[in-house]
Amino acid sequence: MAASFANTQVSGKVATRQVAQGRVAPFRATGVRKAAGAQTSSSLFAGVSVPQRVFAMGGARSVSRAVQTVFAMRDGAVLEGRKLRVAVIGGGPSGACAAETLAKGGVETYLIERKLDNCKPCGGAIPLCMVEEFDLPMEIIDRKVTKMKMISPSNREVDVGKTLSETEWIGMCRREVFDDYLRNRAQKLGANIVNGLFMRSEQQGSDGPFTIHYTSYADGSKMGVPATMEVDIIIGADGANSRVAKEIDAGEYDYAIAFQERIRIPDDKMKYYENLAEMYVGDDVSPDFYGWVFPKYDHVAVGTGTVVNKTAIKQYQQATRDRAKVKTEGGKIIRVEAHPIPEHPRPRRCKGRVALVGDAAGYVTKCSGEGIYFAAKSGRMCAEAIVEGSANGTKMAGEDAIRVYLDKWDRKYWATYKVLDILQKVFYRSNPAREAFVELCEDSYVQKMTFDSYLYKTVVPGNPLDDVKLLVRTVSSLIRSNALRSANSNSVDVSFGSKANSERVATA
Amino acid sequence: MQSALLNRARGAAFKATRPNGCSRSVVVVRATAEAPVVERKERKLGPLERGGTLSGDQAAGKDAGDKARAMATGVTAAATILQIVDGRFVDDRWIGGRWDLNQFKNAAGEVDWDKVIDAEVARRKLLEDYPIPSINEDPVNFDTSEIPWWAWVKRFHLPEAEKLNGRAAMMGYVLALFVDSLTGAGLLEQQESFLGKLALHICVFAILLVRSSADLDKYKGLIDEATFYDKQWNATWDGVKRPSEAESQ
Repeated sequence: MAASFANTQVSGKVATRQVAQGRVAPFRATGVRKAAGAQTSSSLFAGVSVPQRVFAMGGARSVSRAVQTVFAMRDGAVLEGRKLRVAVIGGGPSGACAAETLAKGGVETYLIERKLDNCKPCGGAIPLCMVEEFDLPMEIIDRKVTKMKMISPSNREVDVGKTLSETEWIGMCRREVFDDYLRNRAQKLGANIVNGLFMRSEQQGSDGPFTIHYTSYADGSKMGVPATMEVDIIIGADGANSRVAKEIDAGEYDYAIAFQERIRIPDDKMKYYENLAEMYVGDDVSPDFYGWVFPKYDHVAVGTGTVVNKTAIKQYQQATRDRAKVKTEGGKIIRVEAHPIPEHPRPRRCKGRVALVGDAAGYVTKCSGEGIYFAAKSGRMCAEAIVEGSANGTKMAGEDAIRVYLDKWDRKYWATYKVLDILQKVFYRSNPAREAFVELCEDSYVQKMTFDSYLYKTVVPGNPLDDVKLLVRTVSSLIRSNALRSANSNSVDVSFGSKANSERVATA
Repeated sequence: MQSALLNRARGAAFKATRPNGCSRSVVVVRATAEAPVVERKERKLGPLERGGTLSGDQAAGKDAGDKARAMATGVTAAATILQIVDGRFVDDRWIGGRWDLNQFKNAAGEVDWDKVIDAEVARRKLLEDYPIPSINEDPVNFDTSEIPWWAWVKRFHLPEAEKLNGRAAMMGYVLALFVDSLTGAGLLEQQESFLGKLALHICVFAILLVRSSADLDKYKGLIDEATFYDKQWNATWDGVKRPSEAESQ
């Protein structure tokens, strides 16, 4: 069945040089070539095929098996008469930006998205640099947050944002609007959007094309129709629960469960949150993350997350709601949602001609849990590497090109990720550490450094003398806070190493 | 009342029941002070005021406690200490979102920082166990850096430093004795040799860093934590060279 499918999809074209090199002449086996005649007209996807069989096992015996026609091409081989075909699985920020760059670069792109109006549970915060880098229009940004409040376990509030200039803000957007805009833009530039759910893929040999099996919702039905597609490269952009990652055995990662309730609050309370977001830290709210109140277009999202103690997430959510109780009084919960957030990249981010980008690869920062910008950027960088490696879609590209993207990514953003990792390890350990964190954030130097690195995504070195002073203040703040911890405190200490989740939490 | 005691002391019957030293000291102390008052009509002291009763400053610290005293004397101003009322933190000394340092002054008029530290520890523990909502009208303005550095040192660092110095001294003495018995080198000779200096440094730093057996596990955990994220990021490059590295080679 699969064999005939593959054949009907492919139109016979010119044989490449690879055929002539040391391969046996085409052999016709019964049952395989039957549909050869009907090939040219019925194919949806043009592709070069080498009407040539590669003997995987060699010898005449293999003839008796139902061997598929394999169309193998080495990396760097010139594609004659067709363009490189890439399937991007998942149409979120990473997938859409990858598809856009690929289409612009002259590659035949298919963007497979299962739900075109998906409202992904998300904080929805985008940094300032993203607007410029990705040419985002102001219409998709609902709010510009210019003030952030950090609230310590003992309710010490610190206003972070004093150092922001008039033109600096954090954009809050609706994911359904944001994702839709990026996808439509990719489509306008030439990407083909396919409404379908990726099921599995098969590769025909180690250098052959992929056959993607997916459920197509093109006819609008709920059940969908099974369909297939043949492509040369797959980019897995399907998020934290990526199927592509499972297919290539990319490995597991630790993830936080983020739980969020959208609450519509009275207008006078909403006024307070007009351009202000809040961050609550404390043992009650989360042992290793933070609780938040983020303003959306006409309601607020109150949520929290945790890695080590996922089963207690509802308790943490209750505690977060309690902490924000007075400020959200009279509010009604309109939606409850949850989603996993990766904590670190997967062990294998690529395999052969399959690459992972965005949440599927695990590019979410620690400490802040920011993912949208990095998803979009990784999608773009991966696509750029493929476009370059395939010389604008004229040659076959493969793992080498994908590894160029991985290397570039690591070198560019490693510092940012590491700094945020250190911040999380130092300041999310225990209640005293969180108190010290909030105390330190009062300082304007800290605020300036934090916002500069967040808004512009560069680790700014800053004045060395100020850095030394900051180090001294950090150490003394931590010492004071730890000294103020009661001898019979019930709070917990969390560690962030390689131990299992249950071993990472210890009572003080 | 002192003059009455004085008169009593002269009475023979009274003298029999009171210890010698006591009556004499009373007489000596008060003789000069109470001299002009002796003419006043003496009031007989009640049973609560004699028999070794002290009063005022001399009886200080022997009361049952503020709360019990307030109840007994009927003082209506009940002090609120470290309570959560209606979802707000209330304490008599917590005014305007900070500890009112004037209320922590001791007899000499200086702020007793130990009491401030105690109060803040108790406040944090209370809010940790019973979190309250964050209220815009009740901001917290207290910063722990208001407490001067020497108060922290005196309270937290000095006891620990004393312990560590004691340990270092004991270890040093024992080790010096041991080395002396083995090599015959005296204290000064030991310190002049390179090995001696090395051993001294190792000993001192070990005592500073390893204060309990749990510390060794803690340091291993810290090293693991510091390198774990790096390992996770580099996992994709297991066995494969980075293009940038391959180029430079």
